[in-house]
Amino acid sequence: MAERITDIGPPKFDKFLPPVIKDNYGKWKYHEILEPGVLVHVAESGAKIYSVRGGSGRLVTTDFIKDVCDIADKFCDGYLRFTSRNNVEFLLTDQSKIAGVKDACKKMGIPLGATGHSVSNIVHTQGWVHCHTPAIDASGIVKSVMDDLFEYFGSHKLPAQVRIALACCLNMCGAVHCSDIAILGIHRTPPKVAHEKLRHLCEIPTTIASCPTGAIRPHPDKSIKSVVINDERCMYCGNCYTMCPALPVFDAQKGGVALLVGGKVSNSKTPPMFSKLAVPYLPNNPPRWPEVVGAIRKILIKYAEGANKWERVGEWVERIGWEKFFEVCDIPFTFQHIDDYRWAYDTYRTSMHFKF
Amino acid sequence: MALSKAELVEFIYDLVKNAQGKKQLKAMDLQKAVLKANPDQDKNMVKFAIKELIDSGRCVYTYFGGSFVEIPHEEGAAKKV
Amino acid sequence: MHKTPLLDQLESGPWPSFIKDLKRVAGRKKSAADLLGVLERSYKDKITHWKHGGIVGVLGYGSGIIGRYIDLPEEFPGVEHFHTVRVNQPAGWFYTTQALRELCEIWDEHGSSILNVHGSTGDMIFLGTTTDQLEPCFAKLTAKGWDLGGSGSAMRTPSCCVGKARCEWSCYDTMDLCYQTTQHFQFDMHRPSFPYKFKVKCSGCPNDCVASVARADMSVIGVWKDDIRIDQAAVAAYQGGEIKPRGGGSPYAKLDVKADVTDLCPTACMSFDGKKLSIDNKNCNHCMHCISLMPQALRPGTETGATLLLGSHAPILEGAQMSWVIVPFMEMEAPYDEFMELVGNIHEWWSENGKNRERVGELMLRLGMRAFLKGVGLEPVPQSVKTPRANPFFFWHAEDFEAEAAGRKYIK
Repeated sequence: MAERITDIGPPKFDKFLPPVIKDNYGKWKYHEILEPGVLVHVAESGAKIYSVRGGSGRLVTTDFIKDVCDIADKFCDGYLRFTSRNNVEFLLTDQSKIAGVKDACKKMGIPLGATGHSVSNIVHTQGWVHCHTPAIDASGIVKSVMDDLFEYFGSHKLPAQVRIALACCLNMCGAVHCSDIAILGIHRTPPKVAHEKLRHLCEIPTTIASCPTGAIRPHPDKSIKSVVINDERCMYCGNCYTMCPALPVFDAQKGGVALLVGGKVSNSKTPPMFSKLAVPYLPNNPPRWPEVVGAIRKILIKYAEGANKWERVGEWVERIGWEKFFEVCDIPFTFQHIDDYRWAYDTYRTSMHFKF
Repeated sequence: MALSKAELVEFIYDLVKNAQGKKQLKAMDLQKAVLKANPDQDKNMVKFAIKELIDSGRCVYTYFGGSFVEIPHEEGAAKKV
Repeated sequence: MHKTPLLDQLESGPWPSFIKDLKRVAGRKKSAADLLGVLERSYKDKITHWKHGGIVGVLGYGSGIIGRYIDLPEEFPGVEHFHTVRVNQPAGWFYTTQALRELCEIWDEHGSSILNVHGSTGDMIFLGTTTDQLEPCFAKLTAKGWDLGGSGSAMRTPSCCVGKARCEWSCYDTMDLCYQTTQHFQFDMHRPSFPYKFKVKCSGCPNDCVASVARADMSVIGVWKDDIRIDQAAVAAYQGGEIKPRGGGSPYAKLDVKADVTDLCPTACMSFDGKKLSIDNKNCNHCMHCISLMPQALRPGTETGATLLLGSHAPILEGAQMSWVIVPFMEMEAPYDEFMELVGNIHEWWSENGKNRERVGELMLRLGMRAFLKGVGLEPVPQSVKTPRANPFFFWHAEDFEAEAAGRKYIK
């Protein structure tokens, strides 16, 4: 066997940069968005690079990658990149080739957009395709929501950009907690203990140790060789299921979707903000999740109607007040909306600044 | 007195073996246990002793919410039950 | 091929269909066909059918492979094992088609042909292979110059925005810092020995295109200290409607510089008299609003570097946190010695004091900012708080009295 190569890290990025970028690295002057999905960056030297940006499903195949490569080979001298929101960008210097890229994308079903005041691609997690603790699927909901909001992907119609993200359980490996609209899979019941399986599959001490809230105890009947869960302490993270496959956390009937809104990461005008709970529960309804799609559309439309120029969703809500947000979007306010976790007091109103 | 490299490797292996099934130990738990028993042991040596155990396949890293050093074994999820 | 009536409903509609895409490879890959089968089952049952595998990996590494097993192996043998391989992406996600085709060839041979471009941390995710394919796949990857990314309680794959490669706002070389950090911490990426995960994300400006403030334990955000560069002629062109605001990416054809820019400045440090834009740069909090709206008129200054913020993570366990400022300004020039040393110090302090699954931000809250600053060798600065404390529970240590007696402000 040949000697194993380890710890080499990724290839250095400059291997993959088009010459125009190498030549103008750090010397860009300004950019323009020529149309939705098409950007030009202009260097101090006057050199230009065009980027044609299109959406991808994130969950893709090598066939898709090869198709994308065919486009880049034909029009972009083989140079392309991907964005932090799973969009693909074709990089070229010859403006006359943009039309060719656009046509090729159209044939392949790659929509162009995700620039400026659009709804960009939804960043998301794995869902039922690959994850062991999800409450919901990820790709299917994203497809359904993007189909519905498609007109906003390839246009600049909104008061500001809208970033949507999806995480399929509260572990949030997609870190969706600072998104304009966050779609969150929620479990609403603790794991069910399969005692008979557990004794064969799991180590009891390490299973108990896996619970971050200390909610798991040995079964009081030692002959059963299993564990019991203190329901009141459990917050449905699924870490015990990670350790022990006899503790499934999912529930086909009770699991579902929550929506959180108003987060952002940019510092523009206002500091970064967390997304906050708007809709505590919507049913888990594959394959098209119509309740989720409808609720998101409604929030987006009300935002588009009500926001001032340049206002992000969170800035709009803060300006009108959350009580108005619930009224405008016709969302019932529930016990679940009021924080009672560790830093709850931060969210209680201590002023007379509210509306009826 | 500090342990030799070979002694250190065996010392750590025994820590892992004796804890197997009872407590999952992290690399840092191992380092702390070594230093408790041998306060003058070089930390970097501990790091490379663990590397030797892993590279030889006598121990493996596992991930169950946190990363641990364990003796290779068949995990529950891989069983058809 | 399994019948998939529910999934088939996701083939229609204008957004790219992952189902259509998966079906393209399902003909030649049993694993892809069975993945569709089990996904259809999940759509019917409304539950997942995956189990976590915590032991599989490549020899010597504790990172880069996520184990998965199906709970219905008899029905879907093609995905009985369906492990993930995290391939460390090139900084900025730039590729040549040649590189991508090589990666595809490896994954067609050793896996399901299904992948994510890219995963949340930034890696290219090869989705689904069997235990026996992990070593050969890894060997092929390294032979072509690729390596695995981080997973588990380790240094995670750093990621960054496009930076100086194609953005006029980048205040430091994000791609280079990302690459150098990845190389510097290879040992810690592949051999998990931290209390929990540690993520580094590099954004070139306060617009934070990689969301580092929300999801990196160490957020590195570019910033300038001097004056915003102004092209007054271009400002006039925006006011006159000759240049569209926000690069043309908004529904608004014409900018009203006063109403849209200076009146919305959060520090009211700008004014516009109809002809000339003035900025009181000493009071600018570099929010980027004015620059984003008038990219041809305004640019960040030239005395640039980065702010370091520490501690963000998703909600587990104490609730989500955003990173907070620990170093308001650091010059960011290769080889980044000061940065690497500080990150190393933070790792050491956290490894020494952190509990299992405790992120560094949670540890800081548990032990206090003072313990952290002392532990890693930083001084207190007002930029790190929104306000000073409002309670009277501040306490004094012997070292404070010693410093006081010696006429010093702090310990050193």
